[in-house]
Amino acid sequence: MNGVISVGMADYKTARSPDILLTAGLGSCIGICIHDPFLKVGGMAHIMLPTAVGSIGGNPAKYADTALELLLREIVGMGANKARLRAKMAGGAQMFNFPGKPPVLKIGLRNAEAVELELKRNGIPLLVADVGGSFGRTIHFDVGTGELRIRTINHGEKVF
Amino acid sequence: MNVTQFQLDALREIGNIGSGNAATALSTLLQRRIEMSVPKVWAVPFEQVSAIVGQLDTPQVAIYVKVEGEAPGKAVFLFPVESAEIVVQALFGTNEPLDLYADEMAQSALKEVGNILVSSFLVALSQFSGIPLQPSVPALAVDMIGASLDAIFLEEGTLEDTVLFIDTQLSGIPEIEGQFIFLPDDGSLQKLLGAMGL
Repeated sequence: MNGVISVGMADYKTARSPDILLTAGLGSCIGICIHDPFLKVGGMAHIMLPTAVGSIGGNPAKYADTALELLLREIVGMGANKARLRAKMAGGAQMFNFPGKPPVLKIGLRNAEAVELELKRNGIPLLVADVGGSFGRTIHFDVGTGELRIRTINHGEKVF
Repeated sequence: MNVTQFQLDALREIGNIGSGNAATALSTLLQRRIEMSVPKVWAVPFEQVSAIVGQLDTPQVAIYVKVEGEAPGKAVFLFPVESAEIVVQALFGTNEPLDLYADEMAQSALKEVGNILVSSFLVALSQFSGIPLQPSVPALAVDMIGASLDAIFLEEGTLEDTVLFIDTQLSGIPEIEGQFIFLPDDGSLQKLLGAMGL
């Protein structure tokens, strides 16, 4: 049975092959996809902000750093070898531009940088980063093959 | 921020007055009848916003205007793509199909619609509260609704556990549907309520 498991905002899920993980409507948020190609297990997190440090707290799955920690713990708990894990990510767009007013924060890019940093800290190679632009993305991740399918409304579809 | 039932009621009343003004403006602009739902006030985690706007990757037109002044916030008009097409066709006096993803004239017309609607909302809100509020230049995205909303809600790089906003449905005859969201910044609600003696 080939199931599609939906990951909500500020949420993370793990799965075993042949299941597919899906998250819809990423704007400045980022979908982090991680899998162990040997054991064919993996997970996805839909993060909204870079870091829990200095934030108000609440749901740890909102932040790149704390969400990745939770996701990794769960994937390793399924028997995955941390040294074999590989990552892909998509999202981090800048959806709106106000003429004459450059965005102060560029939260999408900051999210992407935070994910990159956390992956590096954990020694997990980032194979694909489809980030930036000014359009939304819906992503499907096959935890068995590691295939990441990125759908947009008006900027085509990509498979990595 | 702790919000009492009384404050939620006050916010709903703000929504009623402001959205009513906005609906009237849209009706005048398009020369057709526009109906407005009773505004709903939401105090929910942003993660649950899909319960309010539906499927997060549905394409919609989002017109985003920042509210500037002593009680800042954000205002967003959401139109399904087909409804936005009808709005532009009504304004241009044409039945020609439009490509809202690429047509800059159409996009610019929609931004102007957003500007007029938000201005009418703010006029009502300012009169009611005595706090002067101005709209920013509008920005527009024709894209997945979830993508547009996360960019708006997360723009400042923070997110309260509970976000508070007013949501009003607009519907026109025939075939226009839209949704208006007003999101006061943290602290603005207290100022607005305070100014109204609540």
